Amino acid sequence: MAFLEVRDLRKYFPVRRGLLGRTVGWIRAVDGVSLTLDEGETLGLVGESGCGKSTLVQTILFLERPTSGEIRFLDRRVTERDVRELRRRIQVVFQDPYTSLPPRMRVADIVADPLRIHGHADEATITAKVRALLQEVGLPWDRRHQYPFQFSGGQRQRIGIARALAIDPSLVLADEAVSALDVSVQAQILNLFRDLQERHHLTYIFVSHDLGVVRYMSRRIAVMYVGKIVELAPSEDLSARPLHPYTRALLSAVPSLERRRERIRLRGEPPKPTDPPSGCAFHPRCPIAQAICARDVPELREWLPGRYAACHFALAEGPGADAAAPRTAQGGAP
Amino acid sequence: MTAHLARRTAQMLLVVYGVVTLTFITVRLVPGDPARLMEPPGTPETIIQLVRQQIGTDKPLHVQYGDFLAGLPRGDLGKSFRGGRPVGELIAAYLPNTLLLGIVAMAVATALASIIGIGAALRRNSVVDRAALFLVAVAQSTPNFWLGVMLVLVFAVQLRWLPAIDMSGPESFVLPVATLAVTLLPLLVRTVRQSFIDALGDDHVRAARARGIPEHRVLLIHVLKVASLPLVTLVGLQAGFVLGGSVVVESIFNWPGIGTLALKAIQDRDFPMIQGTVLVIAIVFTLVNFVVDLVYAALDPRIRY
Amino acid sequence: MSAPDARASAGRRLTVFLLARKSTLAGLALFAVVTLAAAFAPVLSPYDPLEQDLNRVLLPPAWADGGSAAHPLGTDPLGRDLASRMLWGARLSLLISVASVLLGGGLGFIVGIVTGYFGGWLDAVLMRIGDVQLAFPFVLLAIAVLGVSPERTPAQLIGVLGLTTWIVYARVVRSRVLSEREKDYVRAARALGASSARVLLRYVLPNVWQVAPVIGMLYLGFFVIVESLLSFLALGLTPPTPSWGSILADGRQFMMVTPWMPIFPGLAILLTVLSINLVADGMADYFDPKLMKGYAPRHPLPPRMAIASDKVLAVRDLTTVFRLGAGVLTAVNRVSFELGSGQVLGIVGESGSGKSVLALSIIQLLDAPGAVTEGEIVFLGKDLARVSNAEMTGLRGRRIGMIFQNAGSSLNPVLTVGYQLVETLRQHLRLNSEAARTKAREALEMVGIGDPDRVLRAYPFQLSGGMQQRVMIALAMSVQPALLIADEPTTALDVTTQAQLLERLDELRRELGTSVIFITHDIALLADFADVVMVMYAGQVCEIGPRGRVIREPRHPYTQGLLNSVSRVRAPGTNRLSAIPGDPPDPMHPSTGCPFAPRCAYAMAVCREVNPARTGVGPGHEAACHLLTSTPEAVAGGGTS
Repeated sequence: MAFLEVRDLRKYFPVRRGLLGRTVGWIRAVDGVSLTLDEGETLGLVGESGCGKSTLVQTILFLERPTSGEIRFLDRRVTERDVRELRRRIQVVFQDPYTSLPPRMRVADIVADPLRIHGHADEATITAKVRALLQEVGLPWDRRHQYPFQFSGGQRQRIGIARALAIDPSLVLADEAVSALDVSVQAQILNLFRDLQERHHLTYIFVSHDLGVVRYMSRRIAVMYVGKIVELAPSEDLSARPLHPYTRALLSAVPSLERRRERIRLRGEPPKPTDPPSGCAFHPRCPIAQAICARDVPELREWLPGRYAACHFALAEGPGADAAAPRTAQGGAP
Repeated sequence: MTAHLARRTAQMLLVVYGVVTLTFITVRLVPGDPARLMEPPGTPETIIQLVRQQIGTDKPLHVQYGDFLAGLPRGDLGKSFRGGRPVGELIAAYLPNTLLLGIVAMAVATALASIIGIGAALRRNSVVDRAALFLVAVAQSTPNFWLGVMLVLVFAVQLRWLPAIDMSGPESFVLPVATLAVTLLPLLVRTVRQSFIDALGDDHVRAARARGIPEHRVLLIHVLKVASLPLVTLVGLQAGFVLGGSVVVESIFNWPGIGTLALKAIQDRDFPMIQGTVLVIAIVFTLVNFVVDLVYAALDPRIRY
Repeated sequence: MSAPDARASAGRRLTVFLLARKSTLAGLALFAVVTLAAAFAPVLSPYDPLEQDLNRVLLPPAWADGGSAAHPLGTDPLGRDLASRMLWGARLSLLISVASVLLGGGLGFIVGIVTGYFGGWLDAVLMRIGDVQLAFPFVLLAIAVLGVSPERTPAQLIGVLGLTTWIVYARVVRSRVLSEREKDYVRAARALGASSARVLLRYVLPNVWQVAPVIGMLYLGFFVIVESLLSFLALGLTPPTPSWGSILADGRQFMMVTPWMPIFPGLAILLTVLSINLVADGMADYFDPKLMKGYAPRHPLPPRMAIASDKVLAVRDLTTVFRLGAGVLTAVNRVSFELGSGQVLGIVGESGSGKSVLALSIIQLLDAPGAVTEGEIVFLGKDLARVSNAEMTGLRGRRIGMIFQNAGSSLNPVLTVGYQLVETLRQHLRLNSEAARTKAREALEMVGIGDPDRVLRAYPFQLSGGMQQRVMIALAMSVQPALLIADEPTTALDVTTQAQLLERLDELRRELGTSVIFITHDIALLADFADVVMVMYAGQVCEIGPRGRVIREPRHPYTQGLLNSVSRVRAPGTNRLSAIPGDPPDPMHPSTGCPFAPRCAYAMAVCREVNPARTGVGPGHEAACHLLTSTPEAVAGGGTS
């Protein structure tokens, strides 16, 4: 039984222009994404700004209404009517600890509000629960009457985590949850996420632009590019031998303390989401693109056991090729 | 730019249509029968009936509305109840005087406000800045009709330096312009000062300095171009003060403008004239803001595209 | 801290604010006097304001010739007591104005909240009606509506003033709601399953209502003026109701005989409105304190002989402080380093480490109220802390270039890229506009922009973040400066764009032989790029040395922790990251001793008392840690995990 299943999910935003706000096009923020999530696992979702990873998170929670597609939770299709129940089982931790907390609410109320929303017991029980939550995320109980601005970035993110955990969700979506934090604080928060997962048997979708963060947290990683998942594989495999050329480029671009590597130099910039390229959206920047790439959209296929990629030439160089080896455009590139 | 122009033109026309309709409704919302209000109490019903026919209020509302709309393109705003002259003609004769006074006052106020505002911004929190802000607060609290009266009292009645009323030579502009300018100044000074301070703190100003652009160029080009944007919008809104306030200032100085016309019409309960003056003032205001919008778009490429 | 404490602290904040803002305090006091006078008008007035006495018309005030204490302000043309009429005038004026504000504000507030949060057709319709209403100058509309009414009661006046102003509140509140609605905390509340009503009342409302009272106060003052104006034009309350405006109108009529008469109502209006406006200003600043950021005027330090150096840049004991109301913040604390020709110095640190302030100190463009108070910045033989302003302007951009984190806001939004490039090139290279244009195109090609002509014509907002940063690099590097300061130039960019840009920058600085100071929070970026790495913490240098040594053999516990924190890229999965506990220090409350001591696993008693000095730990490698001077083994042993 799949814990969470996303089937061919799409979220298009209309582009309006002209006198009457006519819709002249669509931003395909999420463009046919399918995912399956097992209970207790962490799925990493990585991609660059504008690739649709945050929209995907919002759409799973119906914070954005899906354009089409299906979300199944515990084998039941979720509709607009189940939203309240869905939001009791699934929670989000947002990126920006400065804007994701209500600025004029005290910490104790911020953490208690989810309990009140879902009609939990009396105030005494709620207070006890809040106390336990604050302790669990490492916040001193005697600061419960302070406001968010009186806390550091890392502490605020702890408050956000306590709020998300208040109603005992089974799935937590972490949307760039550590991106705004200092490096030294990031590590603390990542460890906190891991401890909580163990203690509460949580399932995570961990979204980040930072491949390092995602790799540290996840068993499987999905890579998104222009609204689509282009590669999905277990973390170790993805790092060791990525199948999609975009993943390879992403990996080689991550700054590393290790030896200098030859980088895969991508041409140009990510395409505008209003006007994605034909065929494979990556083909104009791809070092191994062929004529077919401009014509046919590659399907996300299982090329090797458990390893999916949306590329016409996912196995082009055969098994065993070094992940970081540079690939040059070999003929046929337009 | 063309798309922007088209959109703004369409919006403007829509607002003008709304203005026309709202004017029509407002004037007719007044409790009581205009014909009866016009005539002295105790006038026989037969005469009232005749007056109704004469001014057209005997017809159903939608017919009146249709007639009103049909007349507009020809500039036909009906005939004044008092004297029977066409309203459009009278407004055409009086409006230029109002515009002339308004433009001079706004030019004076904007020039003064720029000097004071920029000076205060560059010497932020200094004595100059505090003094400017205090004067602004006082000016903002001064009722302009009182100021007009006091100016007349001092400069015309006591000192006899300037004419008290009427539009004659250039010296007749001094007191009305001063009265209007004091009303306009506070908001202008505050806006200039604040937008200059904001622009001075922008990252791109520091970046320009980091590139070694000399200070006078930083201020005159990089800061001024950005800081002038809020000022442009404000000038459009100020046109509303000038046009609406013309009723006050013109009545104090007996200025032959549209405000005098409107006030007299209100006192006389001359409905076509009230309707005409209110409508023309609102349309002029709408047009001014339309032009202001275009100027803004010309200055700020982010709007244009 | 308990709940009453928090409330007390809010009260304390208000007290502190008021004591610091004398003008608001004065406004409040004045307003209180006017309100009390209005409230107790029936008691305070010596006469009935409507009582006429034709034997005592136009009496002068008590202090003038012929005045009497019986009528302190004299009498009007009908022999009514002016003082009484003034008091009653205040009462009516305030009553009408307050009621109008409540009506217009209440209506507008509700409309603003509802249309802003729910949007839809109701929003569209109400806002279009508002557009049309705003096209009528307000005073005119009020006059027109009231002027044609046969009878004018206070209720009518309130209705007209209230209904003609609701749209202003509605618009402001609506735009506030719109911007709050998109913030993450509102999304978070929705994600918690909160109902719309709950989101609106508990989350949105507490953060938007503050604008309404401020607008309300401004309108209160305005209405006091308008009420008087209407009476002045004989369009206000039906006579003989006392009003400041009608007293003024009487005064105007008898101006020649009784020149004092127009002065009383005018002053009363002025003082009342002034008090209201002062309170409104105070309220606006209290609810929404404006951060005054901006450039601090530069004051060179007193000249002294700089110690000669063969380096491009030699910084010694540089100290930069910010003098804030709450105290002195030392952002950069006795920092020293040298930078050779063609070298790259990488500075790494977290937020608040002082790395950006250090950069701005070098190029002498500190934000107010920052100032360099000590030390030397010897650049090509000149001490930048001491050269004249003119000389510094000549060096900036020409010999020292700088690029910033946010390229988008570092380019002037209303000037084209071409204009800004040409301006810079002409400033430094004395070119004619033709030659500058050609050079500008070359500069863009130099940073890898394929279509320079399009970019030259473009405005900054039309370019992507990566393009904007390329333009910034072109602006800085086209005049071949000796030193480039790059302050987090790629932090805002995607990793693939970052990689492209860094590669280009590296090639460029090699070609041109430029020395570079590269500032970043990500130590991994320096591994490919820097010759020397300098680690900053709390405004101090905690470690500096050749790249290889610092990254492979870090000696300061903070450097070690920082490296461990980023090592996850290599070591995925099971290994647990060893995190540095706690938070970066609060620069407003510096600790005595080593600033890292509160977070340091090896901290000893001495660390909390004495700030350690830098000591050599290898060739060109220094660190500031007590462990290095007492028991070096302790660090080496416990450092790497």
